[in-house]
Amino acid sequence: MPVSERSSPIRGLERRDFLKYCGALATLIGVGQTGVATVADAITTATKLPIVVWSDFQECLGCTIALLQATAPTPAQLILQQISLAYNEAAMASAGFQAEKSFNDAMTQGAYWVIEGSVPGKMEGAFSVGGKSAQTILKENYSKAKGVIAIGSCACFGNVQARHPNPTGAMGIRAWLRGPGGMPDAAVINLPRCPGHGDDLVATLVYLLVNGKVPDLDAHGRPLFLYGQTIHENCERRGHFEAGEFVEKFGDEGSRNHFCLYKMGCKGPVTYAPCAINRWNGRVSWCLHAGPCTGCSEDNYWNDFSPLRAPVPNIEIPALQGVSAQTIGVGMAAVTGVGLAAHLVGQVASGRMFKGGPEEGAKDKKGGDKS
Amino acid sequence: MTKVVIDPITRIEGHLRITVEVENGKVKDAWNTTTMFRGFEIFMETVDPRDTWHYAQRICGVCPNPHALNSATAAERAMGVDKVPDNARLVRNMLDATQIGYDSILWFYILNAFDYVNVPNVLAAKTTDPQQMALQETVKALVATGETNPFSNHYWDHPGYKLPAEVDLVLTQHYIQSIEAQQWANQACAVIAGKFPMIMNMAAGGVTQLPSIEDINYYLDRMALVKQFTEEVMWNDLLAVAGAFPELATFGVGVGNYLTWGLLEGKSQNPVDRVFPRGAIFNKQLKVEKCDPSDVRLYTKYSYYDDAMGAGKKPFDVGQKDIKFDAYQPIDGTTFPTGKYDWTRAARYPSPAGKDVPMEVGPLSEVLVAYVSGQAEVVKYVDAVLAAIGQTGNPGVLMSNLGRVAARMIKARINMDHAADWAMQLLANIKAGDFEVFTEPNLQAEGEGISGYDAPRGALSHYCRTKDGKVTKYAAVPASNWNLAPRDDMGVRGPVEEALIGTPIADVTKPLEILRTVHTFDP
Repeated sequence: MPVSERSSPIRGLERRDFLKYCGALATLIGVGQTGVATVADAITTATKLPIVVWSDFQECLGCTIALLQATAPTPAQLILQQISLAYNEAAMASAGFQAEKSFNDAMTQGAYWVIEGSVPGKMEGAFSVGGKSAQTILKENYSKAKGVIAIGSCACFGNVQARHPNPTGAMGIRAWLRGPGGMPDAAVINLPRCPGHGDDLVATLVYLLVNGKVPDLDAHGRPLFLYGQTIHENCERRGHFEAGEFVEKFGDEGSRNHFCLYKMGCKGPVTYAPCAINRWNGRVSWCLHAGPCTGCSEDNYWNDFSPLRAPVPNIEIPALQGVSAQTIGVGMAAVTGVGLAAHLVGQVASGRMFKGGPEEGAKDKKGGDKS
Repeated sequence: MTKVVIDPITRIEGHLRITVEVENGKVKDAWNTTTMFRGFEIFMETVDPRDTWHYAQRICGVCPNPHALNSATAAERAMGVDKVPDNARLVRNMLDATQIGYDSILWFYILNAFDYVNVPNVLAAKTTDPQQMALQETVKALVATGETNPFSNHYWDHPGYKLPAEVDLVLTQHYIQSIEAQQWANQACAVIAGKFPMIMNMAAGGVTQLPSIEDINYYLDRMALVKQFTEEVMWNDLLAVAGAFPELATFGVGVGNYLTWGLLEGKSQNPVDRVFPRGAIFNKQLKVEKCDPSDVRLYTKYSYYDDAMGAGKKPFDVGQKDIKFDAYQPIDGTTFPTGKYDWTRAARYPSPAGKDVPMEVGPLSEVLVAYVSGQAEVVKYVDAVLAAIGQTGNPGVLMSNLGRVAARMIKARINMDHAADWAMQLLANIKAGDFEVFTEPNLQAEGEGISGYDAPRGALSHYCRTKDGKVTKYAAVPASNWNLAPRDDMGVRGPVEEALIGTPIADVTKPLEILRTVHTFDP
């Protein structure tokens, strides 16, 4: 069958799948399974679609491209049926002053404002659209928007362009509004990662629709229902960490056995993000399937976690010290040369890394090929 | 004379303003202005050379894979690795194949189609097909909300929209399908590289790991779907658009110089053995000259940097570090158009006559160089396109907007013809017991590495110097430094600016023709 006949133009979800989808969202946004009907109602009974304006400041368009990779719902379902995407420079038909009109119309109609990209805090001329700087656009529109969502690490924290010496003074939207923007109470929901994840955006919009309020946020402005756990906690390679089985060199036998990437510089133990849960590209894969985590959901990771290939210092082994990894590791930027790798090797050599002793480790393996 | 400003140019990767002067219904002069700066060449100094590719792929979130590839290659060469294991070459080719596979679809439909396809017009189409009727209902419902949507405020009444409603409907249907089709390519990327965009498996010295047999099988499955979509849907849509808009061949000619570093690595890892070989064409003459990324020259008289920063220097010699950005006022435009007007630098290449000249880069350059070199697959597809538009034996007609659109599709076809081969070779190597994917680079080495390898939108080169485990100098010359170059110090226009000259404008308040020409460059 030709491809053109296999997929219908708008693939509406079957009712059963739709309820399953709402169930997943309900769990994600914390209203539990009893809230499924509420979520379904919020999505299906809205006669007006929530209007979304998507602005791009200092960015690479990766977050927009990531949104195009969403599968539940698909971008077509999302953009044509669940939200009214009034302004997005990559997707919209119009250009120039006609595009500006769409932006202004939508802001007047009442829109959620999604922002991709950072603000060049100390070099205003480093970004403009329609002859206006990011600073001017933020000043003119912040109070008009129904809510501001920063998508991706640039809009949240400045990301790569904030790497030392940060030539343009790149900073996140919230930091700029609360600082140079003179709005100390400014509220922004931060959905970091590089790129930002489409599922985060959908879940957050549904949360706002269902609950009518901003979700609980952590100190970095990230919703706790999404960013409450470390990568390490849910990593598919975690068992190998516990078993002291590490990739020592890219492409070695350990890498073919999917051993832990801690020694290759993985930032999973100090990185809070739901990547292991909602994965990427239609849940086909995620970073740790292929290489070490770079910590892209964390503020200032290009400076604090550099070099990316160096192991995170100051990590303790959870089962041994009775303290979880994520409570330590924080503030690692201040740590100088703790020599953790050697520490780790010592522990493996003495067999102290297994949760319940070597026997239990061997039992988990089923084949018992390694102990 | 009427001055027309389009800001923002939408449906592109970056941030772009186009300014033109229109006289007697035609563009008389043109300026392109990229309106964003981040400073990669500044902050990439001092990073660990093993990490450069993580930074570099953030230069472009649409085409991160070739940035990662070029950056890792430049860094590994600086650290003494001149050739990666063959498995690493195959994996890198497989990732670039997903990149080209997705990007061609993204460009043809999502970024380009609305210049030709009239979406509101689908409501006028007569159809009994349930899927098409569902699509009509969706468009109708969206319009009925009265809210601003992605189709609002566009010039759909422009005379340039002339397809029958039924064709608009089919192409809009394909537009929706294309969103899913580009996802397949990126799922194939993700299963090997963790995710897309921003891959996780690159390494200076090769790749992080050997893909599993299951991963490779999944890759083959997804890429077979992309191939089918490319051949059965997109290729036919190309021929339909090319046939319906013959005027595309009459404007958008440009500078007539074409440059490619080549792409899709051969077994020797020598650029001459690439599927698309390296080469340059000057003055529209169908003759290929040698070229090398170390010979690129940069000019900044019309860019928001000190004049002395560029001044015809080679990328390694251009320092951004100490420039006085604040001396210029990019936003208020007071320096425009006689002074500085662009964040992009003007990249130039020495012609055989010894003059630094602007070069067009992208699929058209790759296809022309391969065609003139006699690359059999390229000749086959080029001849097929020429026959379909009644121009057999006249490849010169491709030096136009039509050629840029067609070349991007030809590149997509050839790429998809090869993607499965690399995966099958990788499987064969694994079966033969070859698991090697990585060569450890010498981190402490003092060295210099250059990589030139085309991205979807054209020639891309990275330059890296290392010493004592640090990057001491980093430079990148992306396709936008070529195609979106401003005037150089000699006052010569860049390729997009030149291509706009002579473009007919039916209505200066609705400059659809400018969007068409600019979009053919996939800026």
